[in-house]
Amino acid sequence: MRLRRLWRPTPLKRHYDVIIIGGGVHGLATAYYLSRDFGITDVAVLESQYLGFGGSGRNTAIVRANQRTPENVRLYDEGLKLWRVLTDELDFNLMFFNCGSLLLGHSEASVGAFRMAASTHNFMGVHSELLDPRQCAEVIPGLDISDRPAFPIHAGLYHPPGGIVRHDAVVWGLAKGAAAHGVHIHQGCEVRGIDTDRGRVTGVRTSLGDIGCNRLGIMAGGYSSAIAAMLGIELPIHPLTIQAMVTHPLKPFLHHVFSSTAYHVYANQTLKGEIATGAHMDPQVNYTTDATAYYLKHQAEALVDLMPALRGVRFMRIWAGLADMTPDMAPIMEGHLGYDGLFLDAGWGYFGFKSGPVAGKYMAEYMATGERPEILEAFQLKRFLENRYSGETAAVMKYGHWD
Amino acid sequence: MTFRLTCPVCGKRDVYEFTFGGQDRGPRPAQEGLSAEEHFRWVQFRMIPGGWEGGEGGGVREGDRAAPQEEWWYHGQGCGVWFRTTRDPGTNREVEGGGGG
Repeated sequence: MRLRRLWRPTPLKRHYDVIIIGGGVHGLATAYYLSRDFGITDVAVLESQYLGFGGSGRNTAIVRANQRTPENVRLYDEGLKLWRVLTDELDFNLMFFNCGSLLLGHSEASVGAFRMAASTHNFMGVHSELLDPRQCAEVIPGLDISDRPAFPIHAGLYHPPGGIVRHDAVVWGLAKGAAAHGVHIHQGCEVRGIDTDRGRVTGVRTSLGDIGCNRLGIMAGGYSSAIAAMLGIELPIHPLTIQAMVTHPLKPFLHHVFSSTAYHVYANQTLKGEIATGAHMDPQVNYTTDATAYYLKHQAEALVDLMPALRGVRFMRIWAGLADMTPDMAPIMEGHLGYDGLFLDAGWGYFGFKSGPVAGKYMAEYMATGERPEILEAFQLKRFLENRYSGETAAVMKYGHWD
Repeated sequence: MTFRLTCPVCGKRDVYEFTFGGQDRGPRPAQEGLSAEEHFRWVQFRMIPGGWEGGEGGGVREGDRAAPQEEWWYHGQGCGVWFRTTRDPGTNREVEGGGGG
């Protein structure tokens, strides 16, 4: 068998037209679309560790388009449709498993919120439906729909278009596609400072030396607020640690993604048979990826309460990543942020993976043309200064002190 | 790894006994003559430098402010006191001598 590299090492030039900070899904997708759709190939993606080191390789791989507000649903719906397109276009199997997702509500208020959400989705042409507890148990037979659990199931928001995508494959596929169009990918290149001159971004200072640029994109996921801080830019972003874990492999029994608004748990069975499951966030801002026994225990208790058959199943691994939370649970996609040529794609919270390719597509258009695409109007930074928050927090969960 | 915070009343306790109250950005700005934009900037915008050591060759990032920040915490599962401490978001740990003010 002949092994073929997905991308080849390239020399580090001293100047690029466009530099993108962050070799994750968002940065690579932006580079891919810049080179493919706009003929801008003098592009470097700088990654301080290795491609997919951050949130792109740490999420639980769930994709869906059942956000709360029309502006968000529209963006995520287009993003959801891109997985099949990209699998074909990149000639790389992203292993999109269209298994559907079931969000569980545990209160009367959640039933009302689900009704509103399903109405929004249907209005936007996205398939979602409200299920009663019995119907939830038909979709996922292991759920305990009795009154026994601490938070009994009141309703489910069933969303058939959702599913799971192999997150490493997305990173590698996009890197392959971008490199094929001439993008340079530099791993182990840590940005330590940003240079500006008379209100323009002129380059970055990195662990591999200074590199000039005309346009700079900060797309570093949970680390974006630290990068912005290099320029003294304040953002309404809280970087928080979010933990995830997998059990040992089991026979296939869970054929959908499920998540719970009260237990702060989401879970799916991977193609290997493990139950991959994620937790709520640690509350204090930080840039570490510390995992804790506290959440391991919380997760075990929550999963067993929801699905008693999981009692005795063992966790094999635990890890953590960063979620860059905004006060309204919607992202910030901004251009000319304080400096000409400075672009920011951040604040995705824990929705950064599912939104990656579509965010890259529109950030590429923004960076190439200098004009904000209409679909990004709702995600400007200034909404926080005008008290016009996105209504995304009108979903069910109580998120944290920052919202 | 979990870590401990220094409660001024109870001493070092597990962080999960506490509620994070956010970065301490000083007193609320005077309302007189305050624009809506200034108000919302104070409420929601903050700077959270990484301040971590660089990868190869170490080195602190140029342009960084000192990373440790003053924060409010509430000992909800203990004595119920609100207090300030200094913690480094780059390491997630309380800074030596940062306990209880």
